[in-house]
Amino acid sequence: MLLSTETMDVDFVRKVEALSGTSVRRCFQCGKCSAGCPMATFMEHPPNRVVRLLQLGQWQRILAGRSIWYCASCETCSTRCPNKVHLASIMDALRKLSWDAEGPSKESYVQLANRLFLQNIRTYGRQYEMRLAAVFNVKSGQFLKDLMLGPKLISKGKLKMFHQKNKNMIEIEKIFGRIEEMRKNGEAL
Amino acid sequence: MSRIGVFICHCGENISRTVDVERVAAQVGTLPGVAFSTDYKYMCSDPGQGLLKKAIQEQRLSHVVVAACSPRMHEKTFRKAVESAGLNPFLCEMANIREHCSWVHEDREEATQKAIEIVGMMVERVKKNRVLPTITVPVTKRSLVIGGGIAGIQAALDIADCGHEVVLVEREPSIGGHMAQLSETFPTLDCSQCIMTPKMVDVANHPKIKLYTYAEIEHVEGYIGNFQVTVRKKARSVDEDKCTGCGVCMTKCPQKKIPNTFDRNLGMRPAIYVPFPQAVPNTPVIDRENCTKFKTGKCGVCQKVCGPGAVDYEQEDQLIVEPVGAIVVATGFDLYSIEEKPKGSPIKGYGEFGHGKIPDVIDGMTFERLASASGPTGGKILRPSDGREPKQIVFIQCVGSRAREKGISYCSKICCMYTAKHTMLYHHKVHDGQAYVFFMDARTPGKSYDEFWRRSIEEEEAVYIRGMVSRLYQKGDKIVVMGSDIAVGVQVEIEADMVVLATAVQPQKGADTLAQKLGISYDKYHFYSEAHAKLRPVECATAGIYLAGACQGPKDIPDTVSQASAAAAKVMTLFAKDKLEREPIVAKVREAGCVGCFYCRKVCPYGAVEEKEIRDRQGNLIKVVAYVNPGVCGGCGTCQATCPSKSVELDGYTDEQIVAMIESL
Repeated sequence: MLLSTETMDVDFVRKVEALSGTSVRRCFQCGKCSAGCPMATFMEHPPNRVVRLLQLGQWQRILAGRSIWYCASCETCSTRCPNKVHLASIMDALRKLSWDAEGPSKESYVQLANRLFLQNIRTYGRQYEMRLAAVFNVKSGQFLKDLMLGPKLISKGKLKMFHQKNKNMIEIEKIFGRIEEMRKNGEAL
Repeated sequence: MSRIGVFICHCGENISRTVDVERVAAQVGTLPGVAFSTDYKYMCSDPGQGLLKKAIQEQRLSHVVVAACSPRMHEKTFRKAVESAGLNPFLCEMANIREHCSWVHEDREEATQKAIEIVGMMVERVKKNRVLPTITVPVTKRSLVIGGGIAGIQAALDIADCGHEVVLVEREPSIGGHMAQLSETFPTLDCSQCIMTPKMVDVANHPKIKLYTYAEIEHVEGYIGNFQVTVRKKARSVDEDKCTGCGVCMTKCPQKKIPNTFDRNLGMRPAIYVPFPQAVPNTPVIDRENCTKFKTGKCGVCQKVCGPGAVDYEQEDQLIVEPVGAIVVATGFDLYSIEEKPKGSPIKGYGEFGHGKIPDVIDGMTFERLASASGPTGGKILRPSDGREPKQIVFIQCVGSRAREKGISYCSKICCMYTAKHTMLYHHKVHDGQAYVFFMDARTPGKSYDEFWRRSIEEEEAVYIRGMVSRLYQKGDKIVVMGSDIAVGVQVEIEADMVVLATAVQPQKGADTLAQKLGISYDKYHFYSEAHAKLRPVECATAGIYLAGACQGPKDIPDTVSQASAAAAKVMTLFAKDKLEREPIVAKVREAGCVGCFYCRKVCPYGAVEEKEIRDRQGNLIKVVAYVNPGVCGGCGTCQATCPSKSVELDGYTDEQIVAMIESL
């Protein structure tokens, strides 16, 4: 890992600090967050290392992994941190920032699910679960995933065969348009 | 016939748990010469001592044995009690049945038997104890302070302010020591010179302080209260009385290309110089090794330009004898050098850091000079190689310290804090620069210290990397630093413009030779040893010699100043009395038996053995025998064990007594 003012992305860290309202530099790597984290065993970077990589401005390494998506936001880390580093907020901020950031997390399933979810809202004005599930399975390459749940859900009326459209599509499109405008101007993420 | 009183202590349950104290008391009571024996729960308590005093008076006891803890613990207590009951204190002995018996045994029967034997031995020994009068020695109420750094200055000022004369001896041409070299000090970042120079001036102006700069200790004789110290005042080649400190000689000196050691060889100075502008005294010194006049005989410019005619090429070293009563040693520290060490030195260099051959790899003190407003760059942080401002700077902690392989296993204590300070100074001076610190542990135990360290990270944006550096090498005009971040678990590489090494604190060069002159002990690193790590931290084992500052171990400024004041307080305690009382447990020479081989002098750790001439009535010399100076003798008994003719005996531990103890078994 080559460290220099170029390879350490301080701007990204500032964004994380602004979004989470907590200091990244304050962490002195005691490891208490990782000690209590229920998900740490599943993460390639345990919570303390996520913060350490952030301190060194190495966000690509964090977003390349699944740690931020395994975080259950249980806030054990934030509650126990001796230094008042709100780690759960940092994880939140990282998840938000991963939307635009280049890197493998763009291809991650969570990101894909989020995108499809919003696409559906924009198209129908409400959720169309059948389409969401079908497109997700196709795009993620796991065609038969959870297929056997379908009949059960349909029989209970939880999964509609056909979509229902919202009446106020113009208003919804306006909301999306406004957010896109804000993102362009840097007023929103 | 002696009437011995024996007092067995339970020490709460410490002794009585494993030793049947009542039985010991009963058994010992039957020994010949024992007039009284009893046991009590806490002999050292007030009622316990009362019991002892009452028994001495009522039973008309002639000797006392207290069977309790180690004499190191309570011998003084009981001897004082015995003295207040009207008996000579040295007729009281302690039998150690706690550390030597109850604490180390489990079987009650065997422990009790052993306790009886221990007490029995002491009973036999105490029978042969003699009445010893306390030794009194006169005290010369002047003190010597060796070293004019912050420790020596503080100690000298404290003693002098108390009204006692002080002789301050400094090896360099000016007092001030390392503190005068520092730029700012942690944890408040106040300028070192600003707080140091007023103290230096105070020393120079104090009517009670006699200042010898450019001087060294030649040799030391005598003992507590009565030292004779010979000071070698090196030839300055400038008359201190005539010199006005105008500095014309320095500006006119044609030889100006001598590396200035005060600036860690970054700047240049003339052959006639003062180390730094605020030097005290402000009298120049001619560096005879580099002066053209002394090398070739031709020049003499300084003498020609000197208005008051103070330059004197003929001046010679002077030896001055100073009588003093106490000595404060404050010789300070030196920094470990990563350069390759000569063969035979136990301390190794750093091949992996280029052995000091990369010009932009500097040590912490050099960085101080760069950051100092009075330094060679006027306070600008510039690379020694090309004078460029470093934009990426790497600090490496624990260089030499905590490196057993290199020969030093201790922590140098100050580096964590001064490195944090360096990152701050760097950030204040180079706004677009980035500082990195490689560290193993950050040790910040001091008032406001941890907050200071955290500030360097949280506010001054230093990047601290836990992990060490394995190698440094030059690549173009950059220095490649190869380290690791153990929190992430990856190798880290930084292309730095400058690298600052926090090198280990070592004792001043020649610390061992000075210790030998003074007769004080030192550890394997040549730090001076205190008498007791916790309870006598500023005293040497040699009476009358006290320690202040980093010569005893790595120390920061607050600790050094505290220790200096503590040493001064110890000196004042000594000076509070006109005569000094010493324990009379000293060796005595039986002159009739002494053959004058002086083996005893060779082994004596205190230097207490002197020569004494024995003459007949006509004044003819018959023989030279050993004489133990009771003022110096520490009562260790080494001479007694060494003497081939059995002519030296330590009072209280005579051969007769030891034999009696063995025979009682």
